[in-house]
Parts: sequence; C-alpha cells; structure tokens
Amino acid sequence: MPAVACLLCLVMSTSTYAQSRTIRGTVLDENAKPVAGANITAQVTGTGTSADSLGNFTLSVSPDVTILSISAVGYTSQDVNITNRTTVSVTLVGTAQTLTDVVVLGYGTARKKDLTGSVSTISSKDLNPGPVTSPLQQIAGKAAGVNVVQIGSEPGSAPGVRIRGITSLVGGSDPLVVVDGIQGNMDLFRQVPPNEIESVDVLKDASATAIYGSRGAPGVIIITTKRSRSGRSTIEFNSVASADFIGKKLRMLNAGEWWQEAQKWNVPASENHASNTDWFDILTRDGFTQNHSIALGGGTKDFNYRASVAAVLQNGIVINSNFKNYIGRIQATQKALDGRLSVTMNLNGNVSNTLGSPGSVGRAAFTSNLISNAYVSRPADPVFNADSSYFTDPNVFQYINPYAVAQEVVNEGGSNNLFGSLRTDLEVVKGLTASWFGSWRKTDSYWGYYLPAKSTVSIAMDNKGLASVTNNRADERLMNISLEYKKMIRQHRVEVLGLYEYQTQVYQGNFAQAKGFINDITTYNALQNGDLSRVTPGDITSYKNDRNLVSFLGRLNYSLHDRYLLTASIRRDGSSVLGVNNKWGNFPSASVAWRISNESFMSGQHVFDQLKLRIGYGVTGNQQGLYPQNSTQLVGASGVTYFGGSQITNFLITQNANADLRWETRSQWNAGVDFAVLNNKLTGTLDLFKATTKNLLFNYTVPQPPYPYGSILANVGSLMNEGVELTLSYEMIRTKDLSVTLAGNGSLIRNKVIELSGSINGVPLNTNYVPWGNNAYLIKGMPIGTYNILQHESIDAAGVEKVVDQDKNGIIDQGNQSPDRIIAGSAVPKYTYAFTPSVSYKNIDFSMVWRGSGGNKIYNGLRGTLSRMENIGKSNVLYDAIPLGLFTSQYGSDLWLEDGGFIRFENFSIGYRIKSNLKNIEAFRVFATGNNLAVITKYKGIDPELNGAYGSAGDNGIYPRTRNVSVGFNVIFK
Amino acid sequence: MKKILFFLLLTFQLVQSCTKVDENIYDRYSADDFYNSPTGSDVALASVYAQIAGNWGGVGYAGADNGWYDLNSMSSDEQVIPHRNTGDWQLDFVQLYKHEWLPTHLIVGNTWNWLYKSIFTANLAVEQLTNAKAETAKIAEARVLRAFFYYLLVDDFGNVPFYTENNITIENLPQKSRADVYNFIVTELSDNVEKLSADKGGQYYGRFNKWAGYALLAKVYLNAGVYTGTPKWAECLAACNKLTAGGFSLHPATANAASPLGNTYFDLFGDENPQDETILSIYTKTDIVGRNIFTIRSLLGPHFVALFNATGWNGTVTHENYVNRFDNNDIRKRQFISGAQPGGVNYSPTISSLDNPGAGREEGTRNMKFYPVGPLNGGGASNDFPIYRYADILLMKAECHVRLGDAASAKPFVDQVRTRAGLPGLAADPTLDDIYNERGFELTWEGHRRQDMIRFDKFLLAHDFKPASGAFRKLYPIPTFALDANKNLTQNPGY
Repeated sequence: MPAVACLLCLVMSTSTYAQSRTIRGTVLDENAKPVAGANITAQVTGTGTSADSLGNFTLSVSPDVTILSISAVGYTSQDVNITNRTTVSVTLVGTAQTLTDVVVLGYGTARKKDLTGSVSTISSKDLNPGPVTSPLQQIAGKAAGVNVVQIGSEPGSAPGVRIRGITSLVGGSDPLVVVDGIQGNMDLFRQVPPNEIESVDVLKDASATAIYGSRGAPGVIIITTKRSRSGRSTIEFNSVASADFIGKKLRMLNAGEWWQEAQKWNVPASENHASNTDWFDILTRDGFTQNHSIALGGGTKDFNYRASVAAVLQNGIVINSNFKNYIGRIQATQKALDGRLSVTMNLNGNVSNTLGSPGSVGRAAFTSNLISNAYVSRPADPVFNADSSYFTDPNVFQYINPYAVAQEVVNEGGSNNLFGSLRTDLEVVKGLTASWFGSWRKTDSYWGYYLPAKSTVSIAMDNKGLASVTNNRADERLMNISLEYKKMIRQHRVEVLGLYEYQTQVYQGNFAQAKGFINDITTYNALQNGDLSRVTPGDITSYKNDRNLVSFLGRLNYSLHDRYLLTASIRRDGSSVLGVNNKWGNFPSASVAWRISNESFMSGQHVFDQLKLRIGYGVTGNQQGLYPQNSTQLVGASGVTYFGGSQITNFLITQNANADLRWETRSQWNAGVDFAVLNNKLTGTLDLFKATTKNLLFNYTVPQPPYPYGSILANVGSLMNEGVELTLSYEMIRTKDLSVTLAGNGSLIRNKVIELSGSINGVPLNTNYVPWGNNAYLIKGMPIGTYNILQHESIDAAGVEKVVDQDKNGIIDQGNQSPDRIIAGSAVPKYTYAFTPSVSYKNIDFSMVWRGSGGNKIYNGLRGTLSRMENIGKSNVLYDAIPLGLFTSQYGSDLWLEDGGFIRFENFSIGYRIKSNLKNIEAFRVFATGNNLAVITKYKGIDPELNGAYGSAGDNGIYPRTRNVSVGFNVIFK
Repeated sequence: MKKILFFLLLTFQLVQSCTKVDENIYDRYSADDFYNSPTGSDVALASVYAQIAGNWGGVGYAGADNGWYDLNSMSSDEQVIPHRNTGDWQLDFVQLYKHEWLPTHLIVGNTWNWLYKSIFTANLAVEQLTNAKAETAKIAEARVLRAFFYYLLVDDFGNVPFYTENNITIENLPQKSRADVYNFIVTELSDNVEKLSADKGGQYYGRFNKWAGYALLAKVYLNAGVYTGTPKWAECLAACNKLTAGGFSLHPATANAASPLGNTYFDLFGDENPQDETILSIYTKTDIVGRNIFTIRSLLGPHFVALFNATGWNGTVTHENYVNRFDNNDIRKRQFISGAQPGGVNYSPTISSLDNPGAGREEGTRNMKFYPVGPLNGGGASNDFPIYRYADILLMKAECHVRLGDAASAKPFVDQVRTRAGLPGLAADPTLDDIYNERGFELTWEGHRRQDMIRFDKFLLAHDFKPASGAFRKLYPIPTFALDANKNLTQNPGY
C-alpha cells in the first residue's frame, strides 16, 4: 500500500521526489459558496490544482513550499501561508467590490487600480449568456458608452458597435479590434469562439486609445482568450440550443380586405387574381440556433496549452437561409531560461458558410429584402400558376414572386480565415524585457450567386439566368519589437515601453459573371456554360491594393506612493494611404489619477472605501475610413465606348487628386471618478468626456463645374461628441445563500457638426445640409442626422397630402435647404442605458439585461410606402392605411417621423449548478436563456433599433430581430 | 541605464530602413503617365464620346431616361409619362409636361451634371491632345465636341459658368451671359469645323466629321434669335448649304416586310443609322455602349413580352391630339400604336388623367419609332439614335427661307420631306406653322421639340392637360445644389 501511494505521488508530481506533504483546503466566496475551479498554485514550484464543485482541493507540495496562491476568474487572488499547516480555508473576494482587476491595455496590462484612463472591463462571468453568434452580443448593455446594435437577425449578420458615439462620417467609426495582440477590424470577432473569452476590455477615452495612434480614434475592443493554468488539465464542454421566433410583423391586409379596399380606389378587376396567399407566412419559419464548443487544456510550471473547437449553427427565419461557423484554435506557451524566456504561439482557423436569402431584390421602386417584399406582395396573387410554375404578373413593372426568389435563387458563400501569432518575451536583465511579436492573418472569401429565370426576377428572365462568382483575399501582417523596463525605487514605480511596429495589408479579388444559360443545372458552378455573346462591361473585374503602416511608440507609467499615477504616451504613425504631403502624424496622450482613498487623511473617514480621480487628454487618428489610392489622380476603365468604328474600352479619371489628404484626428478630454462606498456595497464609475474630430474626412460638395464630380474626399470639417457615463453596481443582499446585485449603466451623449465648410486648394466649399438618410441631414451647428423635413398638414378629399407651406410663397420647395422644411429632432439617440440585475440563491442564479435608448426620431419610410393607396393596384398596404385614406403624396413629410425610443428586455437567464459527487466532473451547470423577450416602444415599425452605423437612419424595411428561447449546459471534466 | 540606451539605439537603427510608406498602385494608371502618350490622347477623345451615349442616371444625350432627352422632350407636347392609377411612375415627367418643375427637379439636376462632366471631359481631351501634339483634326474634333455641349447648356440654362481649362479655381469661373457663350460656340465652330475630316461612316460613324460640324453650326445659328435676340437666318442657311457637298439625301421610304413597321423609312431608327441621310449618330449596343429605351419604356408589359420577350415599362404616351394631327396616309404615323395588340393588350388613345388619380393602365397611344433591335433586354434595345439627319437640315433650310421672306424657295424642301413620307406636296407656299407642324411629324421623339416650340413661340401656350405657362419657363433653373455649392451664381429669373 505505501508503494502504491508513493507511485501515486510520483505520477501526481514528477518534480518532487519524496517527503512531499499534502495540503487539503476549501475555497469559498464571501457568501461561503464554493468557488469551483479556483486555481491553487504552489509558489516557486508552480505545481497546482483546482478546486472541485464543492470548492475542495488536495495538493501535494514539496516541503519548502510555504505559500499557495489561490485565484479564480472574477475574484481577487490571494496568497496563503501554509507553513506548518495541512488544511486551509480560503475566502476569495469577488472583484466587483475591489478595484484590483487586471486590465488589458494596448501593448501591456495594468492593475485596474492603477488605471488613469477610461476603460470598461467585462470578465467572462459577466458576459451575456445564450446562443450568441458574435462576441459583441455578449457585451450588449454591459458597458457605459458602448452601444451594441443588432439590426435584424439575418443568419451570420453581426451587430454593430459605437463607442462614445459617431466619431467619423466616412467609415472608421468601427472600433479597432485586438484579439490576443492581433489587430484587425470587426471581422476578427468571427474568429473568436464565444465560450473562450476570458475578458473583454473596451478602451474608451483617448488617453487609453492613443497608444493605437491612427487606428484608435473610434475606440478599441480588446479580447483576451482563456488560458489554461499550470498544474491542472481539463476538458470543458458547452452546448446551447435555441428556438428563434419572429418578434413582430406588420399587419397587412388579407386578400378579402385588400380587394375590398382596392375597389374603392378604382383598381380594375383584372388585378384581382382571386387567390389568398399569406406571403409572410410561407416565406418564414421558426429559426434554430446551436452553439457548441469543446475546450481542452493543461499545463505545468513552464508549459501550458489550450485548444478548442467551436461551432455556431444558425437556421434563419426566412426559408432557405442559414449560417455555419466553425472555429478551431490552439495556444501554447513555453518558458525557458529559468522563466526568463517565454514563447507563446497561437493558431486560429475558422470556416464559415452562409446560405443567404437574397438581400436586395424587387421592383426598382422598392428594392429590399425578402421579408419586405413579402409585405409588398398582393395577398390575392397566387404563389403558383395552374401548371405549377411560379405566378408572375407582367402587367406590374418588375414584379417578383418572393417565394420563387426564396426557393430558386442560389446565394451562398463562405470564408476561410487563418491567423497565427508568435510572441517572444525575454527578460534581458531584471526589470528589462525585450519582446518580439508577429501576427499573420489571411482571409479568403467567396460568394456564388445564381439567379435563374424561374426566380421571376426580371433581370434574370431578360438574361435567361445570371450567375456570378466573387473571390476576395486579404493578407494582413503585423510585427512589433519592444523593450519594456519596470523598476520600483522606494515609493516610485516606473514602467517605460518603447515599441516599433510595422503593418502591411494586401487586398486582392476578382469577380466574374455570366448570363444566358440553357438550363439551371450548373447554377454558378460553370460560368462557361453561359452565353458568351452576352458578356458586357463589368462582368469581369479584379483588383489589388495594399497599405502599410509604420509606427513608433513610447509610454511611461509612473506612480508615487501608489497614490499619484501618471501615464503618458506618444505614437508616431506613417501611412501609405495618405497624401504625399501628410504621410506622418503624432498622437500624444497624458493622464493622471489620484487615489484619494489611500491618503492618510482619508483613513479616519468611513464614507469612501475606494476613491480615485482621473483626468486625461489624448489625440488619436482615424485612417480606416481611407482606402488605398485615394489621394492621387488615377485613370481606370469605365465601360466601353464606340470610337473609330469599333467598341473600345473607355478610360476615365476616377477621382480628383488630393496630395494633402490626411487622417482625421480626434482629441479627447476625459475626467472620471471611481468610487466604492457603503462598505464596498455600492461601487461606481462616473466619466465625463468631450471629443472633437478635426480634419474630418468627408466627401465634400464641390462646385460642378469646375469639378467633374460633385464631391471630393478631403479633410475639412469638424465634429464634436460630449457625454456623461455612469456605471453603478449595488450589492443589495449578501448572505450565505442569497445575493442580490443591482447593476446598471447609462450614458448621455451629445454630438454636433461644428463645421462642414472651408476650402480645398483655394476652392471655397459650401457643404451644408448634406443628406444623411431619409430627410435627415448634416447641418452645421446641429447634431448628426438632424431631421429637416416638410410638415404634414392634411389629407384632402381626393386623398392627396398637403404639407405646410412654411414661407407661404405658394410653392412647396423640396430642396435640401428649402425654407419649407423644419428641424425636427435627430436620428441619433441622445441617451442609452442598461439595467442588469442578478440574483443568486444557493445553486440557482438569475440575471437580466434590460437596455434601451431614446431621444431620437425614426423616419418610417416603409410605413410611407405601405400606406399610399395609389400603390394598392400593384401591392399590398398596411391595415392602418385604410383609416389614413392617403392616396398619394409627393412628399416625405413628418407624417412618417416617429419617436425612436425603446426599452428592450434583452436577456433573461436562469442557471442551476448541479452538485456533483462524481470525481471526474468538476462542474456542471444547466441554464435557460431568453433573448429579446420584449420591446417597449411607440415605434410602429418592426423594430426601432435600426440606426445605421453613422446614424443615417430611415426604415426601408429590415430583417426582423428574432426572439429566442434557449437551453444549454456547461460541464467541466477533470 | 547604458544598456537600455544601447538597446533603444539598436532597435531604432534596425527599423530605420523599415519606415517607407510610399503608395503602391497595382490596378489603375497614374493620370499623368496615361494621357501623355499618343494612345492616351486618343483615349481622351474617345471618352468624350462615351458621354454622349445614353445610360442610366441621367447620363447621355438620348437613349436612356432621366437625362437631357427627357428634359427636352417631356416638356414639349410630343410625349409624357403619366402617373398610372396602378401606382406606377413618379410625377417628375408630368411636372415637366405641365411646366411645373422646380430648381430641385431631378432631371434638371441630372442634365446639368451630365453637361458639366462632359465639358470637363472635353476640356481634358483638348488639353491632352494639344500636349501630345496630336493631329489638327483630332484637336478640332475635341473643340467641336466641347462647343456642342456648351450649345446644349445655353439652350437649356441661359447664362452659365464657363471654363475651358480644368485646373482653375472658382474665382476664375465666371457665369457668362448666354450671348457670350453663344459667341464662343460660333467662333469655336467657325475655327474648327473646316479642319474636321470629310469622311462619312466607317471610323467616323458616330463622330463629328465636317458635315456634323456644319449641322451643329446651323443649329446654333437657327436659334441665335432665341439666344441673343439677333436672328442669323442667312448664316444658318449658309451653314446648311455647306452640307450639300456631303452628298446627303433622304433615305427612301418603301414598303418592305423586312423593315421595322413594314417600311424602309424606319431603318432610319434601327440598328445602324443609314449613311445616306444620317449626319451624326449615337452608336448603341445595349449594356455595352448606351441603350435605347424609347420603345420598351412606352409599351405595356405583356405587349413587349409577346413581341420581344422582355417586360415593357408602360411609360411614355403621346396625347391623342398630337397623333391626330398626322395624316392617315403618312408613313410616319405608323410609329404610333393603339388598339388591340399582341399579349392581350388594348390601348385606348384617350388619357383620363396625368397625375391624380393617374391614367388607367392601357390608356394612351404608344410609340415604336425606335422599333427594338437586338441585343435587347428589359433594360433597353440597341437602336442607334440620329442626333442630326438630312430631313432636319431640309426643314431648317425651308424655315430660313420663310423667315427671310422667301416662302417659294422653301416649298421644295418641305415637299421633299412630305413626299418621302407618302404625302402630297403642300398646296401653297409654306407658312411658319406648316414648317413647325412638319417638323413635328418628321422629327417627333428625336429630342428637337422643346427647342422648336420655343423658336416658334408655341412653348408657353396651353395644350392637352397643360395650362399656359410663364415666359420664365423658356429656361430651366440652375439646380439648387449648384447654387448652394457656388455662391457666385445667379439664378434664372422666375425661379
């Protein structure tokens, strides 16, 4: 028996020979609940284990070990002295009550208590649960000033995100995304398995984002994935499945109602095809989304790895639509040279496939998605003719049968993405680390499209079928070299970072299209089967361009007495996409913080448990809105012309030169306070900011003549955003069995177009009243997307709309600057808020997310289209159009302008942690989640959340947002 | 500390070579390199012609929609697209027809943008050809093209911004009076037309040769009275007479089953415009170079499907009063279609309403002057479009003679056109009304009608759903966006 025990010891710990002793312990949280999975690591030797579902652990350690480190995600780590002890009981304190989390910043990390800028951190336990298809859905409502907007639930469609408002007008309001050091655009999210996220850090103010220089202006989202801990190995399995329903649909007329109304408006009987079709019903179904992942990992003192495979499978609510995403990744870290050298590699690949419902089909007068086409289709039209071919009506210009489109069109694509990175850190001397980091990301995507004649789409019928294949490739490489020095000299803590970075990105692609197929068998798979005599300009295209970014940066972190904190950074960027006169730019920042609660004069008070003041300023840039080759005058092919007796390729100057083209710069002030009061029960953060975007990139109006085009891309205007953000968390009840936490955040934001005019090369610009969506404009001195709209007056006896002639000159002028228009609010919400309470009772936990926004208006263009009775002969109308009695209107008046405020019950989750006595199961949890359970709004359309990326909103028909109910489980094997 | 400095220095030394951020261009040409070559300057000239073919978005002289042709045809009495009580067609066309357009009108703006982009392209061609020391004829051709666009511009808009070199600032871009621009056009044409090639057809098909140049000059003189207040009838006549040396004649009109609408007359509007009569054409190959939508836009869906297997748009109609002025024996009347048609369609000539509630679906006489030729599809057909043809010149000559008080000399020209159309000659010497009407019969749907109605003082009169309109309607307004972008511009009176 002793021999067996000894053998066991050897197996369990090869680094110890004999005389090891066994420590038993329990890890509990402040509510005396077990912290399952807590990591226990013996200091110095690095051996470790983790706590089981009851929080118990057993660890063999060599005799010289005196300290155990206990850590768990979401809790503050603790060191326990085990000298002369064989049992320990540890109580971990949740991080919600402390300011000691580690925060991932650009090119490094910091303790949250040392932060001087505005950063929101969401750790894995706070991520929204459920059938997520994009990591952004996991942080919706979780961070003040970070507005995640999911417009519709089309399979594979990712949400958009705006951090502190709209910062740019021509692309580049999307934040920079950094996944484990790899920089990229929002597409990077698709390569992150939702269950593998350890934490999400959102850098909001310029003092935090300036480290990313010319890419940091719209904010930065940093994702850190899970790592295995030394001394333990696990297999983790997650699975969730959800049923998806359409939350709301418009009430249209049925066949009987339609014909009754149509006759009132003199629609001839020939238009009534005497059928009864619910187009919406036959085009939609209940969706189904699944999300599975398996992760494995393990490690020793000097080595750890984690590998995972995940699948996101989504069946859309429109027939014949789905999305599949498979992600595989592996990460390994090896240390050498007594821990002074550390090498981490990361490989990640994903394959995603989409079967899409065609996006923009329909009549020229109304091109939209299939859902909206279902609304437009007349209910008295049959789906099929008597000979079972699809019904179509040549009397209606460009009539489409949406069911035929859904069944017959082939619209599919996919992308294969690969990224890898290698990081090497070498501690040269104590405190000085030299690092090299390289990442390489390749994406290949393709799209195949076949529009057969029987789809009833007129262009397909004209051309006897139309097939196309699109291929795009991107190759993005990044390399940086850095030196970091950390030193503690008495009360001074100094950290200095110097870094050089080189990024190069190459984009290539091609497109080919063929028309005229004798049958539909080969769809888009054999373009050569088409009729080559139908080839027209634009059927074959290809492109290639690239961009380079070279950067130098330096950063200093300094703290004195752990109370006075300073961060200063400077980054110098050079970019190839800018005009020759402005290739380089500097992006400085500085911020200071004062931890008042650590001052001796605070020691006597009992109000504040924590109190910190922060203030910072920084300059960042935006060049994501700039595509390569924008600053020089170039000539490109532009169709075909007839000259000299034959058809020849036509060439045109494609753009005006602008050698002064530069990046937008955004300077931002931020002041904040972090506090904890009432014995750490109430914690909060309040931030004030003001950001000004200068050298605003925009396609400015230039006079035509002398310019051949009416606009030019230049840096002229400026834009301002200012706001207040508040995050509060209140631990109302904290007992052994029950804890209730009320948390929430809110932000008020105000934006203003400061200037749109100026001059370019001596040409004065008069850019103002720039159309920004339906009846919304950019107007100097007003918020982005200000409605400047005609005012509805009445509908006359003939059903014609009259609008108010504001200047009483007898003419209704519909020009953008018409005196007949009035200012009527903005398309961009003024405030957003979220309320995220959570309750846990014994093994059961509940959480909710309610979030909303308001202060904006929406131009409901779809309601306008579906309310005009003049259309009833060729399309269906809304039930509400009957009492309105509008036959026709020349105007898009404020009759269609509606309040866009809403409160959404975004997420409700209930989970149960099953007590397991099985020795191989570490944790087992089952849960049920509801998503988008209710929307409280006055808006009459399908969903008020349709604000486009730049606030240029109007509702012209969107894909509905689904309501989901899901169940799932999570199990960790050991 | 020394070590740190050493490492920093080393790092920066290493990376110094890696700081290049020049732009690479892979898939287009740099403008300077491209045009400064003989091929490039030829291409610059060709690209001006690309502006003439009709295409979507209001681009082109004729063939597509929402551009110059619609602006100059729909505002006359020869055609209109009514709003339909089935919900089809916006009111833009009816607004033109009823003279209710505003400075924000879509088609007014499209035409302005098209003309100024054309002038920019022509300026570029003149500059590039001059720099490349190209043949005199090619430089002259580019200058004549530019004059052509300025002529269209003053005809529609009156006093307009004027420039001949592209790289100028806005202070150097004056709004010139209609008379000044007229003088520029006349001078430019007088200096350059004679330098153009005398060749017809072949590599000059669709291009300004000497004959097209004189036809343009004649048009400018014909309307001189409208532009400047001083008529130039004799000069117009002289320019028309220059065409005699070009050897033009009227294309014969004989019954022929293979020809569109059963008569060789309609070959004039077919795949390739016959060289005996046509002076300047727009070459069209749908989806490749331009498009011709005039028949598909007119016919009702199932009718066009039955004939050509693509869906008609059920748009343009001609008022029955206009159609009824044609003699029943007139070959040219065949272009108008009403009554029962293939596809189960039956057009009734009477239009009940243009806007509210709109015309019934099968109301209105349709037009098939441009009887579709392939390749064709739902976006248009490939008929070439005659900008200038000899019948027009004959009627211009006749008009000049009448205006100059010599109606007797005018009669043979009018009769020549009438006889070809299967009609007897006029009973008496032509009056101005005779010529105005004959132009309406011969040249309808060819984009001349607005100009003719203005010159014959018919434009403002009430007719067929259109009330009488104010004199300011003889000019279009400068588009609102152009006024907003250039504060130095003065709007035309009345707007």
